[in-house]
Amino acid sequence: MSARKKSQKPKVAFFDFTGCEGCQLNKLNLENDLLGILELIDLVEFREAMDDKAEEYDIAFIEGSITTPSCVERIYDIRRRTKILVALGQCAVSGGINAMKNNYPLAQVQEEVYGKDKYLFPSMPAMPVRAFVQVDYEVRGCPMSMPEFLHVLKSLVLGRKPEIKDYAVCVECKLKENECVLEKGMFCLGPITRAGCDAICPSNGQYCTGCRGLVSNMNKNGAIEMLKQHGFSVEEAIKRMAMFNTNELVKEANWGNR
Amino acid sequence: MNRQAKDISEMKCCFFDQNTTKQFIEFLMSKAKVIAPHRKGEKSFSFQETHNPEEVVLNYNRTIQPIKKFFMPPRETLLEFELNGKPKVKKPEIKIEERIFLGIHSYDMKAIRLLDFSFDRDKPEANYFLRRQKSVFIGIAYEPDEYHFAQDLGIDVYDTTGFSLFMVPAEKGFLIFEVDETGHRYLQEFGKGLPLDAELQYERPEPTKKLKMHYNRLPQIFSHVYDSPVWKKVAERCLGCGTCNLVCSTCYCFDVFDEVNLNIKEGTRERTWDSCMLNPFAQVAGGENFRPTLDSRTRHRLYRKFKYLTDYSGELHCIGCGRCSYFCPAKISLVEIINELIEDYNRQQQHAAVTVS
Repeated sequence: MSARKKSQKPKVAFFDFTGCEGCQLNKLNLENDLLGILELIDLVEFREAMDDKAEEYDIAFIEGSITTPSCVERIYDIRRRTKILVALGQCAVSGGINAMKNNYPLAQVQEEVYGKDKYLFPSMPAMPVRAFVQVDYEVRGCPMSMPEFLHVLKSLVLGRKPEIKDYAVCVECKLKENECVLEKGMFCLGPITRAGCDAICPSNGQYCTGCRGLVSNMNKNGAIEMLKQHGFSVEEAIKRMAMFNTNELVKEANWGNR
Repeated sequence: MNRQAKDISEMKCCFFDQNTTKQFIEFLMSKAKVIAPHRKGEKSFSFQETHNPEEVVLNYNRTIQPIKKFFMPPRETLLEFELNGKPKVKKPEIKIEERIFLGIHSYDMKAIRLLDFSFDRDKPEANYFLRRQKSVFIGIAYEPDEYHFAQDLGIDVYDTTGFSLFMVPAEKGFLIFEVDETGHRYLQEFGKGLPLDAELQYERPEPTKKLKMHYNRLPQIFSHVYDSPVWKKVAERCLGCGTCNLVCSTCYCFDVFDEVNLNIKEGTRERTWDSCMLNPFAQVAGGENFRPTLDSRTRHRLYRKFKYLTDYSGELHCIGCGRCSYFCPAKISLVEIINELIEDYNRQQQHAAVTVS
């Protein structure tokens, strides 16, 4: 399982699919750590930063959602050539903001974006990478959380299983003793959104938008009741949740129909 | 540590007006680091180091975090290690400093005594007791709000156990009671309070009656409600966010993990607070989870407060501060859960009586 062979650094590649490339750019912002990262890995493919290409990888990081038939072909091809595949950022993990289009008929979306040229651009609903190939690990968030990215990278280089958090943002708020934003009358998805961001939005007076996706085995009815108790309508709650979680909400199609 | 202090009516007492109180805080700051309640955000409070006596808020309902955070920080480094060649391990030094905790409610003090018990069992928790040394506590009486139920659990507003001095808000100032030697010494050195000779007249607040049964009977109730339908009912509203554990004054569970530096040669072993309401808490290697549902987790949380630890210590490990209910995003009330359990227990008893007759 260890990605690091004796005295040989793991071959690492970054690929972008449908997304704003913010997660990729984000990595280049790790200015003080970039040289340290390059000590650990052999970077073989990274379109945002370099021209080279390689045939095989030990670790492939995938950014962006899968939204076109050619994306599907590419992701199958990458999966065949890599030992470990990591979804990077919320588009890759859950479809992210792109998946909001899944709420509308595809033809209407294509018409809106491409007009008369729509036949030149085949499209499909925005899907997470794991809808097509096996994803070994995930780095969530919009943009992805940098400490978490470094944790996953270091763990894989060491041949360890990265620890991915599966609990609510509330935990991180409480550890930092933040005043609860719900308590201040604001909307917040913290109680059902996955931690790992160090509660960065509530710590700066903002509410949690749910950009890291929902915790596993979430209590959906409880979540609606909770937001209602704080004065929000079911419609508003679902609309705000859909921003980053359309695909997760589709699984819960009966939301609000109670 | 468990010595019951005498009643405040038997203690020496003096009066501080508002100005003297500020001077007294300044005096305390000259003696040691002073930790007191401060404003946090729009309407919350937090225990913080005092830099300016003006910022201390003595009439607060409850802080977000209890004083536990000063003895067991939310996150701390247990070890520093080096993997280069022969592995080396170093324990970071814990600075022992004198600290005065000012404006502590009686239930928060009780919580520290319960934590002392929990951490002293089996192998004493070294880091906790290192930080716990050289702490002086100055208590203050409070007005119970709708979430407090400490009195229902037998913790009086005027319980001075563990304190050195005890403050009671009075008109235009505070009555200061000498609880122990340290408190006496502080007042002697400060020497500014107005002595009170006349017989003290003060009203004790009516005891709250929020729980439907005497607290001494609660462990017995908990012997009968393990399979109660109440747990599932609570789980319908619970989001499993962990807030209740993470603001609890007597919860002490933690998680330990290693984090390596970018050179993957050095790293640290970290410890952070954990919560039994969270998904990964009871999960083991291979993915099996021993408490996969929210009803089983809520039950475990309450049993830890009213049964499991009580069987060892003979004391309830809930202190009625109301934090878990006050800060719960879903507004789940611990008092309501306990009362429903009591009702369920009573129903069981009736049923048993009918069967016998």
